[in-house]
Amino acid sequence: MSAALPTVPVLHSEWIKIRSLRGTFGALIAILVATAGIQALAAAAVGQAEAGSMGEDPLLGAFYGINFGQIAAFTFGASALSAEFHNGALRTTLTAVPNRTRFYLSKIALIGGLAFLMGQVTGVLTFVLGQAFMGEYALSLGDPGTLRAVFGSGVYLMLMALFAAGLTAVLRSAAVVLSVLIPFVVMVPFIVGQAAGGVAEFLPDQAGQLVMHLESTGRLGPWSGLGVLALWAAAALAGGWLAVRRRDA
Amino acid sequence: MNSIEIRELTKEYGRTRAVDHLTFDVLPGRVTGFLGPNGAGKSTTMRLLLGLDRVTSGTATIGGARFTDFPDPLHRVGALLDAQAAHGGRTARDHLRFLAAANRIPVRRVEEVLEQAGIASAAKRRIKTFSLGMRQRLGIAAALLGDPAVLLLDEPTNGLDPEGIIWIRELMRGLAAEGRTVLVSSHLMSETAALADHLVVLGQGRLLADSSMEEFIEARSTPKVRLRTSDPVRLRAALARDGFEMASADDGRWTVEGIRAEQLGGMAAREGIPVLELSDERASLERAYLDLTADHAQFAATH
Repeated sequence: MSAALPTVPVLHSEWIKIRSLRGTFGALIAILVATAGIQALAAAAVGQAEAGSMGEDPLLGAFYGINFGQIAAFTFGASALSAEFHNGALRTTLTAVPNRTRFYLSKIALIGGLAFLMGQVTGVLTFVLGQAFMGEYALSLGDPGTLRAVFGSGVYLMLMALFAAGLTAVLRSAAVVLSVLIPFVVMVPFIVGQAAGGVAEFLPDQAGQLVMHLESTGRLGPWSGLGVLALWAAAALAGGWLAVRRRDA
Repeated sequence: MNSIEIRELTKEYGRTRAVDHLTFDVLPGRVTGFLGPNGAGKSTTMRLLLGLDRVTSGTATIGGARFTDFPDPLHRVGALLDAQAAHGGRTARDHLRFLAAANRIPVRRVEEVLEQAGIASAAKRRIKTFSLGMRQRLGIAAALLGDPAVLLLDEPTNGLDPEGIIWIRELMRGLAAEGRTVLVSSHLMSETAALADHLVVLGQGRLLADSSMEEFIEARSTPKVRLRTSDPVRLRAALARDGFEMASADDGRWTVEGIRAEQLGGMAAREGIPVLELSDERASLERAYLDLTADHAQFAATH
């Protein structure tokens, strides 16, 4: 890392890249729209029908929309990376930022930063909007676990975006990454059901969502569950870093 | 300071050796034409120089330093390697803006190069709507962004219309005249002949020639003169005495192989034979190049 190219201009460059691609920027916005929007619709439609209609865990039910928002988070992370593999655009990038580690870390930092901010806004709005339709069943900020869940849901969305970004750096295609991740998070809960324990609770989405549970029954708690997701994301990012560094562009 | 130094450069892709112990310099102040058949290693050499591919052995440096170590790469080297290497979903202006931002180049410079490359009116269009010629112009705009002292252009005239070709020829000659280092690869011999002062020729990853354009052509063509005379009979006899043969060319002129104009002119004067026109026939770059690469052309058709 002998290149002294400062990091701030590279972050600026990466920001221009993200905001200038409709798909990527749209996916970032969609994290908020999908999570909070579906939460509000679901809460308005069935929220007050009976206790537990949004899921057995009322706190997790307050973040039902995140099942959809995480797909937007995947798309954001994956498309921000895959844009570099489109028509060999990476070659042009590397003529401006030849230090690949600096390029990769700047891009990942920006994806993480944007997803974190969007995730926090999403967490707050999802909770507040969703609970506004819950009437007598409504939770309020300050109830046990709610602040942790609001903050944690934002971190969860960020980590999912980074997980997808790292995988895309390895596989070089958003389409491949999304066609693996989306079925994975949609199908796995059906397959493993509510069976606590086993390896299932260590899967990225299962572990990460524990931070939104009122009570956790397995071996992982809310923060350790989020930690497990962070390890998944870190492993994917490390793989991506190796791939970006080693491969011919 | 701004010369390109290639030393014992080797690159293997699996078992294929794309570049094989290549050593040459590209000096500032002149346009260096980079020639060779398809697969000779021209593009690979440029990619290795920019750190896009990892070298197997040897070094490729610019002013003694590796490109990847430059803190301000766009200010040092402008490169057009592949006009397609841009995300089609971005506008031309955004494409140049993110490049400029990474090297702290002011936004107004983006407008300047868009103007200079003749695509200012298309700045807001998405790159996927661009023709190949417009993409080449965008690639050249990107190469000029940092006002670099070294330019690497791989087939820059691809897809350009005749005005575009003249534009880029004058641009490159102007850049070289300002003391910059300009390396241009091309398949078009007439284009290179009109453009380059110096030639580096590759074949199968090896260096075949590194010389000035003059020397290159001179060394690979037999001397030949073209003349018009009012007394071909005496001239033919005089030439035959020295072992030269006069052959009839079209339009009433004659050609003599193996002799230079000064030699023939002197002889004609001594003999008192009137010569109305006399000139050295220069071989074309194309002829000289084909002679050189005939044996090396990996994918050449039999001829």
